[in-house]
Amino acid sequence: MKRRPFFGLAPWGLCFAVFGVFPLAYSLILSFLSYNPLRPDLVRWVGLDNYARALASPAFWHALRTTAIFVAGTLPVTLVLAYTVAALLARARRGEGFFRAAIFFPATLSMVVISLVFKSLYAEEGLLNGWLGVLGLPHIHWLLDVRLALPSIMAMDVWASVGYYAILILAARKTLPGEQLEAARLEGISPLLIERKIVLPHLRPVLLFVVLLNTIRAFQIFIEPFVLTRGGPLESTLTLVYHIYERAFYHFEMGYASALAFLLLLLVGLILAVQRRLLGRGSAEAPAA
Amino acid sequence: MGAKGDSRVAVAALVAALVLFGIGCAKKDSGKRAVVFWQFSPLTAIQPIVDRFNADNPDLAVQVEQLTWQSGREKIVAAIAAGRPPDLCELGSTFLPGLVADSTLLDLTDHVADLRPSLLGWNVASYRGRAYAIPWMLGTRALYLNDDLLRRAGLDPSKPIETWADLARAARMIATKVPDAKGFGMNAGEREILIKKFMPFAWGNGGDILDSSLTRSVVASAANVAALRFYLSLKPYSLLDRQEMHEEAFAKGRLGIIISGPWLLRKLPEEAPGLHYTVALMPKPAADRGAPASFAGAEVLGIFRNARRVDDAMRLARFLVRPENAMPLFLSTGNAFPAASASSADSYFVSHPKDAIFLRQLKTAVGPPLHPRWVEIEEIVNGELEEAIYGRKTAEAALASADARIDAVLARQP
Repeated sequence: MKRRPFFGLAPWGLCFAVFGVFPLAYSLILSFLSYNPLRPDLVRWVGLDNYARALASPAFWHALRTTAIFVAGTLPVTLVLAYTVAALLARARRGEGFFRAAIFFPATLSMVVISLVFKSLYAEEGLLNGWLGVLGLPHIHWLLDVRLALPSIMAMDVWASVGYYAILILAARKTLPGEQLEAARLEGISPLLIERKIVLPHLRPVLLFVVLLNTIRAFQIFIEPFVLTRGGPLESTLTLVYHIYERAFYHFEMGYASALAFLLLLLVGLILAVQRRLLGRGSAEAPAA
Repeated sequence: MGAKGDSRVAVAALVAALVLFGIGCAKKDSGKRAVVFWQFSPLTAIQPIVDRFNADNPDLAVQVEQLTWQSGREKIVAAIAAGRPPDLCELGSTFLPGLVADSTLLDLTDHVADLRPSLLGWNVASYRGRAYAIPWMLGTRALYLNDDLLRRAGLDPSKPIETWADLARAARMIATKVPDAKGFGMNAGEREILIKKFMPFAWGNGGDILDSSLTRSVVASAANVAALRFYLSLKPYSLLDRQEMHEEAFAKGRLGIIISGPWLLRKLPEEAPGLHYTVALMPKPAADRGAPASFAGAEVLGIFRNARRVDDAMRLARFLVRPENAMPLFLSTGNAFPAASASSADSYFVSHPKDAIFLRQLKTAVGPPLHPRWVEIEEIVNGELEEAIYGRKTAEAALASADARIDAVLARQP
C-alpha cells in the first residue's frame, strides 16, 4: 500500500525525467562540448571554453544588457498594475465576473498571436498611428526607432501579463479575513493605511510568487522580438534567449548556445535567490515558484 | 480496487499502448520503397506532381511533407542531428552555404552533368566548381512602379525607369509632389534582407562582396561605395519600413516604387484591383554603364550525406526539375520560376508580360556566393548596411568596417 502514491506519480515522473531532467542534463554536457548538430562526428570536449568565450563576447553582454533592461522595465510596472487592477476588481460591486474575464483574457492567448496583433497595431499605418493622426500628431515608428522598439515590446508584454498576475493577487485578496478589515474600518483607519498595514502583509507571499514567476518569464523573452523585430533595429531588441537561438540554429553552435543557456539559468537562479531573501523576509512561506 | 488491481490496469494500458505504437510504426508491406521528400510548397500544389512520379515509378512511394519557412530550418537541423534526414529536401539558397560548410550535403557533381545545360541557377548551388544541390525553382526581385503616382508627380509612366538617375528623380518627384505619398520603399527593421535590397545596386555597378576566388573581401570597393551612397540618397524620399508594409503601402497607392518579387503579382489583383502599375527591370547605374542586376534566390534540391535512398532521391529530383513538372508548381504557387530554361518558352509568359519581366530579370540576377562562411559574412554586411541606413555610419565607414570584419572571418577559415 505504501508504494501506491509513488506508483500514481510514475507517469508524471517519467514525463519529467524524459522531457525535463534528460534535456537539462544533456544540454549541460553539451555546454562543455564543441558540437555542431550537422557534424556530430566532429564533436569534441572543450571544457569551460564555451563559458569563457561567452563571458568575453560583446554580443553576450549586449544581449544580457537588453534582457536586463526588459526585466527591470516590465517587472515593477507589471507588479504595480496587477496589484492595482486586483484592488479595483476586489472593490467592484457589479460586473466583477465580466471584468475578471476581460482582464484575464490576454493570458489565454498565445504570445505569437499577441505579437502579431501588436505588429499590426505598431505598424506605420496601424491603429496607434491612426489615433495619433486623428489627434494631429506625427506618426511614430514604434518598432523601427532604436529608442522605441524595446519599450514598445515591453508595453506589449506588460499588457499581456498583467491580467494573469492580477487574478493571482485577487485570489489572495479574497482570503483576507473580513472581520479584520471591518474592525479596522470601525476604528476609523484610513483605506490607505488598511492597504499598507493589513492587505499588503497578507498578500506578501503571493506578491513574492508573482515577482519570482515574472522574473523567470521576463528573462526568457524570445517570441516577442522573434515575431516583432528579429532582434533589430540595430540589435536594440536582441535578448539573451534570441541570441542563444541565433547561435544554435543559424550558426549551429549547440555547445556554445548551451553554455549561454546555463549562464542564463545561473543568473536567473541568483536573482531569484536574492529576491526571495529580500522580499520573503518576515513573510509567511511563499508558494513554490 | 487494490494495489494488485492498479497494477493490472497499468500493465494492460502499457500493453495496449505498445500494440498501438507497433501498429503505428508498422511498415506498409506494399513492396514499394519509401522516399521521404521534405519541401515548402503547399501539399495541394506538390501532391499532383508527386502522384505522377509515383505512377511512373511503381517501385517507389514518395512520402512528401511540407515544411514551413518559420520552422523548417530547425526541423532539418534536428533531423540531421538525429541521423534521420529526408531522402530529398528542398533548401533555400540562403540556408545552403551553412550545409555545404559542414559537408552535410552530398557532392552531386558527378550525378548532374547531363542536367547542367538544361537548368539555370547552378551558381547558387555550386562551390568551387562542385554542385551540392540541383536548382529547382528560381526567384528574383524587380521594380514595381505605381503608374498613377508617377502621373500625379508629373512623370510619364510609359517612359521606363532605366537608370539610377531615373529612379532618384521619380522617387523625389512622387515624395515632393504627391501629398501623403512616398517615393521609394527602403527596407528597415528587418536587417536580414538588407543585403538583398542593396546588393543589386552594387552588383549592377560592378561591385561584389568577395573576390572571384572567394578568399578576400572587396566589399569596400569604389563601386560598392558609390552604390551605397546612391541608395542612401533615396532615404529622404523613402518609406522606411518592413517589406510587408512596403507592399501594403504600394497596394494602397501610397508608395510609388518598391522592389519586390513575383508574389506581389498574385496579391495585387485581390488587394488592389484598381491599381495601375508597371513591373520593370532594376535600374542600371547609367544608360551606358552597368547592368540591371537583382538578387537571385533559388529553391534547390539537396541530398544529405546520411540519406538512405540516394539513387531514388536522384530519380525524384530529376523528375521534379523537368519543365513539365516545375511549371505546374510555379502556376500553383506563383512565387518562383522553374530553373528549367525551357520553361521560359511556355505560352504563359506571353500572356503574362509582368511575369516575363521577372524571367528577364533572372538573366542578370546574382546569387550569394556558396561560401562556407556566408552566414557570418551576410550577417556582417546586413549589420553594417543597417548602421548606414540609420545614419550611424557613412557609406564609406560602413563598408570599410564590413571589409575588415569579413577579412577577419575569412582568415579564420581552415
